[in-house]
Amino acid sequence: MYVLDPHSESIMEEYRKQRPMFLEAENAIATRLRESLTEAGIVVASVESRVKTEKSLAGKLELKGAKYKSLADITDIIGLRVITFYLDDVDVVASVVERLFDVDWDNTVDKRRLHALDSFGYQSLHYICRVPEMPFRFEIQMRTLLQHAWSNMNHDTGYKSGVEIPREYIRNMSRLAGMLELADEQFSRIRSELTDYRRRMQALVASGNLDEVQLDGDTFRSYLDLHPFTPLNRRIAAINQAEIQEVPLMPYLAAFKDIGCQTLGDVQRIIKDYSEGAYQIACYQMGLTDLDIMASSVGPQNLCIAFILRNGGGRTGLRRLFDHLLGTSEANEMMAEMMVEQSASFPFMNQKN
Amino acid sequence: MKITIETTNGTTTAHLEGRLDTPASTEVTPYFDQLQEHADGTVILDCTELSYIASSGLRLFLALRKVSMAKGGKVIVKNINDGIRQVFMMTGFLNMFEIQ
Repeated sequence: MYVLDPHSESIMEEYRKQRPMFLEAENAIATRLRESLTEAGIVVASVESRVKTEKSLAGKLELKGAKYKSLADITDIIGLRVITFYLDDVDVVASVVERLFDVDWDNTVDKRRLHALDSFGYQSLHYICRVPEMPFRFEIQMRTLLQHAWSNMNHDTGYKSGVEIPREYIRNMSRLAGMLELADEQFSRIRSELTDYRRRMQALVASGNLDEVQLDGDTFRSYLDLHPFTPLNRRIAAINQAEIQEVPLMPYLAAFKDIGCQTLGDVQRIIKDYSEGAYQIACYQMGLTDLDIMASSVGPQNLCIAFILRNGGGRTGLRRLFDHLLGTSEANEMMAEMMVEQSASFPFMNQKN
Repeated sequence: MKITIETTNGTTTAHLEGRLDTPASTEVTPYFDQLQEHADGTVILDCTELSYIASSGLRLFLALRKVSMAKGGKVIVKNINDGIRQVFMMTGFLNMFEIQ
């Protein structure tokens, strides 16, 4: 139960009258912000919003009601919070907010800069904003997940309760804030380094220096953008004038790695050296059928089969390949066995080096 | 060619019997249209009694898979014989379906 002076009570009355408008505005502002972040391609952990409850406002007025001349002086009746994954994204989100709303710079606080160089604590960027269609201002807080975690724990432990906080608790929370600040920086650094690595690898793939490009998820994806298996697939499709269905080829990353490819150059060499074998397998299998539909995975699949057969991998190697591509199954053993039996008829298997 | 469709607890199972060649594919297209209506859930193509599949049959499977992917469902192909498995392998269809 709270006790308010007449001035605070009049502010409270105004709040009750305006509450439906606040709820409507909160929804509209949050939607606008979410849409703009999506349009800008910024992935955030969450966008939260709320209208201050009567109880919370009463508590505020009870403590410092005289500070506010009217309801319009209270800037956090509507509050939004954007939680980002990365430290750098706090400023990116801030720039979106600046474009979207009128920022009241006189009342906006960057709490990240309030700390002395040798102190650690609450880190968040708070903007006070307004939109032309509403006489009331609102607050948008922007911070990272780790800053949010610290703030919640600190809040939860009762810094607003008015009870004197033991010095040791404050020191421990400050130490944690410092540690989380370091972790936030590290996460951002890792992301930047990964982005740089991807760009470098993409440039190497584009320039054709494939021997310098380590085979991994990112580089194989970039390589697939060059459609390296298309000539082979077209050649195979021509056997029966088949239609080619495009399917994801990323599962072949594990297959190529398993047969010893370490760089994209290794994959490229397999295409160069084993395409004829892969084509001969397709001729043998499809030539006597009227199958006129195939998936784009036939090219890489037959390349791996040709490589394994030619290099003595036999039934065990083929079983491993099928297990990689199709999941472990007893039926894979049967297919491996069948391929080994057929292999005697593949011309490339009878060629001397 | 015969198809029997049953739906239990959100899973639709089609039991395929006979040879799914070109004439049969035309004949069973309405059944596959019916399966597409359930493609937001799990659709099982039980091939225990299916002895042969031609390209036109593969196209029916493929069309069902496309609709299922668009609707967030799943198509499971069950109990294919060795001959059909070989067809699925040489055409790359093994990669496209969950085979049980």
